[in-house]
Amino acid sequence: MGILHRQRWCGATGLLVPLLTLASPGFLKIAGIAPSWAVLWLLPWALVDGPASGAVAGLALGLVLDGLHLGRASEVPVLVLLGWWWGRIGRRGAPIERSFSLGLLALVGTALLGASLLLQLYWQGGLPLPVAGWHTLMAQTLITALLAPLVCSLLLLRWRQVASLRG
Amino acid sequence: MTGRFSRVPTLQKIAEAWPWWLLLLALVGVRLSKGAFFADGYALLSRPFWPGSAQSEWLRSAQLVSDKARLADLERDNSRLRQMLQLQRSSAGLVSAAVIARQPSGWWQQLELGKGALDGLAPGDAVLAPGGLIGRLESVTPTTARVTLLTDASSRLGVWVGRTRQHALLVGLGTPRPRLQFLEKDPGVRPGDVVSTSPASTLLPPNIPVGVVQSVNEQAVPAPDALVQLSAPVDAVDWVQVRTR
Repeated sequence: MGILHRQRWCGATGLLVPLLTLASPGFLKIAGIAPSWAVLWLLPWALVDGPASGAVAGLALGLVLDGLHLGRASEVPVLVLLGWWWGRIGRRGAPIERSFSLGLLALVGTALLGASLLLQLYWQGGLPLPVAGWHTLMAQTLITALLAPLVCSLLLLRWRQVASLRG
Repeated sequence: MTGRFSRVPTLQKIAEAWPWWLLLLALVGVRLSKGAFFADGYALLSRPFWPGSAQSEWLRSAQLVSDKARLADLERDNSRLRQMLQLQRSSAGLVSAAVIARQPSGWWQQLELGKGALDGLAPGDAVLAPGGLIGRLESVTPTTARVTLLTDASSRLGVWVGRTRQHALLVGLGTPRPRLQFLEKDPGVRPGDVVSTSPASTLLPPNIPVGVVQSVNEQAVPAPDALVQLSAPVDAVDWVQVRTR
């Protein structure tokens, strides 16, 4: 595991994810759909701190977010998978810094997360697939990918500075 | 082989990581309690920004209009059933609560209220806004409550159309307009009919306005269905009233 998780204040920023999910600021929505704050926080965390830390952070976020919404659908499996995958990407090859790369990773991650929720809700017999699910999936993927270069770049820069100072 | 075995953590190392196990246990606790700690913490932090009392007064005046409509419906009810329901609802009360977080669209359609079990709220209570019913309480913490909106895909509610006296099931679709599934093949319902809670319901108070029929699909099988425009504006409401049992 990396060293970022040993810095209490870095880990404490994860509390913003459930708070922003609850507050759901209206000016950061597309067609009434808010971005996936979990993806926007987890992406830079896993890129800096590695696959094990990313997977654990994904598990922690998933457990909290599952407690904040209705029903039995879970975000845990995909968030753990994304944390591990992004951690591996961060450890192999050149460091990811370009806005386009961050946006693309966030887009793929949000699409996977949305598809997982869509399938879970559909299998549980509630959501009619073509009506509301696709709209939410597309809008959330788009707004998250658009915000990723801004939010993830700042977090990535700050956390890489912390990691290089402590490491 | 030796190198591979040396990478397996020993029991001692696992025991040394007890703070992380405690953290994981706490997170599982948050998950199992449906976010009690975070929802209560959020309510505490956001308390200075809760909506003011102006809409609360508007809510009370709108409630008078709503009560008149309910009274007209009640007069047409079966008297024996009405007396029985009044006995069952004799201890019911209304608790005003601020909306502290809302997700009227997305994967889940829900509201968070700034009052909870300490104020007498319980899962299953009806939640009213100016205009009519908007949902039911799904879970409560000591100081917050979570509302499943009628538009949520998990919402199922027994309702009836007062003009034709036809019972139906109001099913959330995850879209702003829920679907009305009729039980009979010829319900005689047309756009503009008012939908209210069923007088035979044992879960909710009878004759609370829910919405207006917007369109009817006569070709649906096995029975016609209709789309309903809810009468309460979920996107705009800052205060709601919870009908406690």
